[in-house]
Amino acid sequence: MFCGEVERDGGGGGGDKSEHRSSTAGMETLLELEEKEHEGGGIEQKELSPQELLDGEKTVNINITSPGDTPFGQTKPVNLSECPSSYQHNSPQEKQLLVIADNFSSQYSHIFPNRKPLFLCPLNECGVKKFVSTTLRSTMLPYSGLYDWDNCASFVADHLVLQALDPPIEPPRRLISPTLLLETQTGTCFDISTLLCSLLLGAGYDAYCVTGYAVREMCLLDQSRQECPLLVGEVEVKVEGTSAEDERQVRKYAVKPPRELRSNFERAQQERKEQEARAEVLRSQQEAQRLQEELERPPPDPLQGQMLHCWVLVLAGKREIRDHFFIDPLTGKGYALGDESFLGVEALWNQHNYWVNMQDCGRGCSDMEYNLGDTTMWESVLFRITEKEEEEELEEEEEWSEEPKPFEMPRSWVDTIALSKQDLERRWPGGSRCTQYRKAKLEQFTPYLLPDGLVTRLTTYTDLECEEVDVVREWFQNRLDHLEERELQRATNVTIERFSPGCKLKLKTHSYVSLAPGTERRMDFHSRACPDGLLRRVESPGQMEETFDHRDDLLYSRHVFYARSPEGGSEEPGGRPLERVVERFHRDAAKAAREDVAERVFLFAEGSIEVTFHLEDDRIIPVRRSFVKPRVLPDGQRAESWRPGMVTGYQGDPHEDPPKNVYLYEMLTALMDEEEKVALQIKHSETEVREILATREREERNPELRISIYDTARNEKVQRYREDMIRAQEESQKQVKKEIDLLAPFLARLGDPEVLSSQQAQKVLEDCLANQRMRMIEQDKILQARYDKETQALQHEQQRYQINQLNMSKEEEERYHAYCSETVFKIGVIKQRQSRHKEITPQKHLALKEKLIRDPRLAPHL
Amino acid sequence: MIRLYGKVEQSVMDEKILQEAVEEQGPKEEAGQISKEEGISFNAVLQLRLEYKNILKIEHLWEFTSLTKLQLNNNLIQKIEGLANLTNIKWLDLSFNNIEKIEGLETLTKLEDLTFYNNKISCIENMDTLNNLTFFAIGNNCLGQLDNVIYLRRFKNLHTLNLAGNPVAQEANYKLFIAAYLSDLAYLDYRLLNGETKKQAFAKYQYAIEEIRHNELQTLKATEAEQKRQEELQQHQEAFVENLNGSELFDSMFAQDPEAQKLNQLPGVADLPQLVGLCIQMFQSGFAEQKLREAEVKAFLEVLQEAVREKQQRSAQLVSDFEKHRKKRILDLKQVEDAAKEEAQVNQYMTEIKTLCDSCLLLELQLVDQLEEIIKDFERNITDMVGSFIETVQGIYPFHTIVHSNPHYAPAPLCRDLENHLHEEIKDIAMATLEKVAKNEVEDDLPDDVRALFVDKETVMNAVGASHDSHMLRIDNREDKLVTRINAWMMNLIKKIQDEEVWRNRKCISEIQYFIQHLRNQLEEVLHQE
Repeated sequence: MFCGEVERDGGGGGGDKSEHRSSTAGMETLLELEEKEHEGGGIEQKELSPQELLDGEKTVNINITSPGDTPFGQTKPVNLSECPSSYQHNSPQEKQLLVIADNFSSQYSHIFPNRKPLFLCPLNECGVKKFVSTTLRSTMLPYSGLYDWDNCASFVADHLVLQALDPPIEPPRRLISPTLLLETQTGTCFDISTLLCSLLLGAGYDAYCVTGYAVREMCLLDQSRQECPLLVGEVEVKVEGTSAEDERQVRKYAVKPPRELRSNFERAQQERKEQEARAEVLRSQQEAQRLQEELERPPPDPLQGQMLHCWVLVLAGKREIRDHFFIDPLTGKGYALGDESFLGVEALWNQHNYWVNMQDCGRGCSDMEYNLGDTTMWESVLFRITEKEEEEELEEEEEWSEEPKPFEMPRSWVDTIALSKQDLERRWPGGSRCTQYRKAKLEQFTPYLLPDGLVTRLTTYTDLECEEVDVVREWFQNRLDHLEERELQRATNVTIERFSPGCKLKLKTHSYVSLAPGTERRMDFHSRACPDGLLRRVESPGQMEETFDHRDDLLYSRHVFYARSPEGGSEEPGGRPLERVVERFHRDAAKAAREDVAERVFLFAEGSIEVTFHLEDDRIIPVRRSFVKPRVLPDGQRAESWRPGMVTGYQGDPHEDPPKNVYLYEMLTALMDEEEKVALQIKHSETEVREILATREREERNPELRISIYDTARNEKVQRYREDMIRAQEESQKQVKKEIDLLAPFLARLGDPEVLSSQQAQKVLEDCLANQRMRMIEQDKILQARYDKETQALQHEQQRYQINQLNMSKEEEERYHAYCSETVFKIGVIKQRQSRHKEITPQKHLALKEKLIRDPRLAPHL
Repeated sequence: MIRLYGKVEQSVMDEKILQEAVEEQGPKEEAGQISKEEGISFNAVLQLRLEYKNILKIEHLWEFTSLTKLQLNNNLIQKIEGLANLTNIKWLDLSFNNIEKIEGLETLTKLEDLTFYNNKISCIENMDTLNNLTFFAIGNNCLGQLDNVIYLRRFKNLHTLNLAGNPVAQEANYKLFIAAYLSDLAYLDYRLLNGETKKQAFAKYQYAIEEIRHNELQTLKATEAEQKRQEELQQHQEAFVENLNGSELFDSMFAQDPEAQKLNQLPGVADLPQLVGLCIQMFQSGFAEQKLREAEVKAFLEVLQEAVREKQQRSAQLVSDFEKHRKKRILDLKQVEDAAKEEAQVNQYMTEIKTLCDSCLLLELQLVDQLEEIIKDFERNITDMVGSFIETVQGIYPFHTIVHSNPHYAPAPLCRDLENHLHEEIKDIAMATLEKVAKNEVEDDLPDDVRALFVDKETVMNAVGASHDSHMLRIDNREDKLVTRINAWMMNLIKKIQDEEVWRNRKCISEIQYFIQHLRNQLEEVLHQE
């Protein structure tokens, strides 16, 4: 009820300018205004005379003409004279709008003397007053990555640097255009919101800029009390994992647990004690937590509730948005409307209108309504029908066309917002940003910015002051060695590296303290990529354990124990001596359990081999055999022959016959062969480890980055190839264009002299002309020859026809006629060409002569 | 060679020849030495070569049950015999003999490679059971019928065939014929059958082949359908409601009752469609009950197996813990010299063994108790289920026949009710017809044999009564069958579970005892050595 009047008043007041509004209309509205004032009650309002309005306009003019502050140039000098004229001047509509706005603002301050003045018409970078709605330039950037609000907002937040308001409780004097903002990458929250809102409007959202009050952390972009989003995600994942395991089936039958023979009293006592202990622990934990919270509580804010902020509101309805929500442009995060960080809303605007909040924000923003058509809640600057009515009106447009249209918001004065691909890829100003979170520091870099491919580094600390480093995690991209993530735990000094599939070393993860061989480490492999199905290799002092997967021989684990070398750790090239090797196998369903090896232990030191077989169903004791190897002489000959005592063991089934000696003997020989193989494989594993470590060290020293062949900007080879291609294309075109040098063969005959003497010139000229004449004559001759040939053939055929005319079939006759007509036609064509040739020859001759005379090489001599 | 010169010195396959062959072809070097000392048992031999031995008759091979490869080539064998026990054989070579007929191979179902090269066989036959055959050589024989080769179509895996040197190989279309009829064959007479040949062959014999294929497909479908039907019947039998999902009971009631057939021709005698409905109801409830029973058995067995497995794991853990120390103990014992100390150690070891034995037995005992309890539970439940099913069935077949004055008020039409009702109706109709016959009002189209019934009241009533009795008997029989079978099933199940449990328990205890004995023996050995 307030807006319409004001708007019409404004129009009436500036009646000199507006053609379609009479002063009577203004009077009428004033009367209406009085009536409504009484109906609505509560809002104090003073009648405004046209004179006062005119005065207002004058002050506006003065403001415009007065030289403003020094142009926006703290960060980077921008040549303002290059700005388009719309930046430096106001169009008539804009001027009218300013008058309306000024009027609105003065009425507003009159009615609500306690409220802060509205942020309506700040200066732009050229020092010209512009209405805030016209600074919004709805633009859709041609990058699919910026189409959704979350991506768009996070890009805007990343791309720009905040310049805090000074003082923090006053709106800024200037609101720079989004184009300038993208250039300088520095702006206040108002500038940033304007840019974000422009992009969201362009992407089809129902977005608004909101000015209001927020908590200090939000206004100053202080995230040091928040958890790092990278860490928050991890915790959630873990919680989901545990909840899924809780499901248990209810069963009809259940075995009763065996009766426990214990005193109930004792148990009760024990339980009571345990409970007490638990309560004690819980209490102390709570106490510690309370202390911690107290420590972390931020110091009281003297400006609580007065810090001005500007953010973006997205209303539901468009782009499948279900609920209204806020976006903080500084972090790019979405918030629910009731979030505690937002303390109050002063006003909001989009490219069409400006609404002032008439609701009480004493208890934050949670109870606010966003029905902008309701004038008891939102007072708009321009009279504007809601969109629904607008549509209806469009249908009835013809009927209403006589009625004067309400004042429309002029179109934006801002140029099209443009963003280069490089800027989009670089994302952060200068390609990097460092953010402080609670107990964490996050550094982000543009891909390819750093030579080692680092894109993210997250440092977590154990204390709030961020002095004691806990874990450093680094993420890499485009590494040639497929390194994806490195985690360094400071407490244990353990480094964990993770690789993406495709790593040449087939590594999945690698955790170690140092890269030197022989130290403790754990390597996980992509078992499908390794020919031996290796899954994991863990090295610890004196031990090495390898785990396998998907092997044909069903081996899944090999545990190597090294003998303690008496010298004390001196690494010899032959490898450390083995003490024992334990190999474990999965059950092979094709074999009987009692013949399927489950575990074999090669006791190198004792010279024996122990084999345990798989358990049969219903049995608890596996079949076991232990073999004593026959002694071997130094020359490889066996010193002992077989005797049954070499094998001992438990046989399992008492009813079965003991195995034959041949069987056992063959088993022993096979095992001895296996033992040699195993020793070889262990050696191989050791060399493999050494090789991997050497490769890793080399890769770490000179990290190389992978560049896609489609990336023409970075891939030098592709770039060169493209350039070559373009050059070749150009050259081929050039050659076609280049004219044939007529004189070249004749000059060559003279040996290509630098400068021609006049005789030589004369000779060249004559030669050239003579040559042409010869060619012409030759052409003529060819034509004549063809003519002769055709006529002769025709005559010959005619003669034949006359002789054979009587005894010719009809077909032959027809063929003859067809032939005749064709040949006659050919002869006609040849004649024509001959005559034209004769005509053209002298012309061509003359043309050539003239051309040669004008030739720069011959001209001086002729 | 010997044959060429006619100086044939026949030999007999006796133990000596076999023993020599086995020893000669057995393990070599040290292993051979060991095996010789120990003796080789025939049933462990995997391969046997008996070539150039002038053997006339195959004998004494029954002991070689694990044989996989047998070579009897270049002998004088005339008849294939004595091979029935060699069921594991995969490779059989009978080339260069005097065999005239293929026979005696029925039990060798694992046979893959079969060679009859250079014999006197004139017909491929008696090989129906050799489904795994991949290689078949029958060159240089007397095969004269090309059609006989079609017999080999049944071997789906056959990829190599040798027929060279037979009269059939002289025929003009020999190669194409075989390529056409044995389309999966890869090699014929040592040569690859390429795609071009196969295409030509197919073009030539297209119609014949397609007909054969069609016939084979038909047979296959028929066997599959039969199998499916059998499976279904099997399923129904498991639910004890076979042949109840249709009008079979009803049909059988009338099928063997000549009186009823006659009576049915009387005007006004209707069918019993409700009976079919009842059968189907019974069938469905039988299936539902069977599902429930199955679920019950499954739930019970799961718990049982889990309990057994858990106990087994715990015992196995105990044993493996013990094993870890055992070796060290034995080593210590060997090293100890002081007699007193030794005795102390021996005693300690003995106690440990005893503890292991006790704890294993305790676990087993606990398990037996637990299982006994759940088996009892299960027994009770399954008895209840079977009982309720029987009741349901008997509800549909009530024992007490209630004759309702008005059939429309019957609370639930049940089998016997229906039959009684039918009986009453027939009786009424029969009486009416009798009266009509007496009055000569009956239609002329009544057949003579039926008309003969209506001579007097007694005859008619006897016929109707006999028919009713026979129907009742059928219904009773079916009911009895169902009840007996389901009870038998239940008894069997429970007995099986109990038996298995007893067997498991025995086995477990004997295993523990045996192991303890083994440990004690070992200890004694060690002490004895010292």
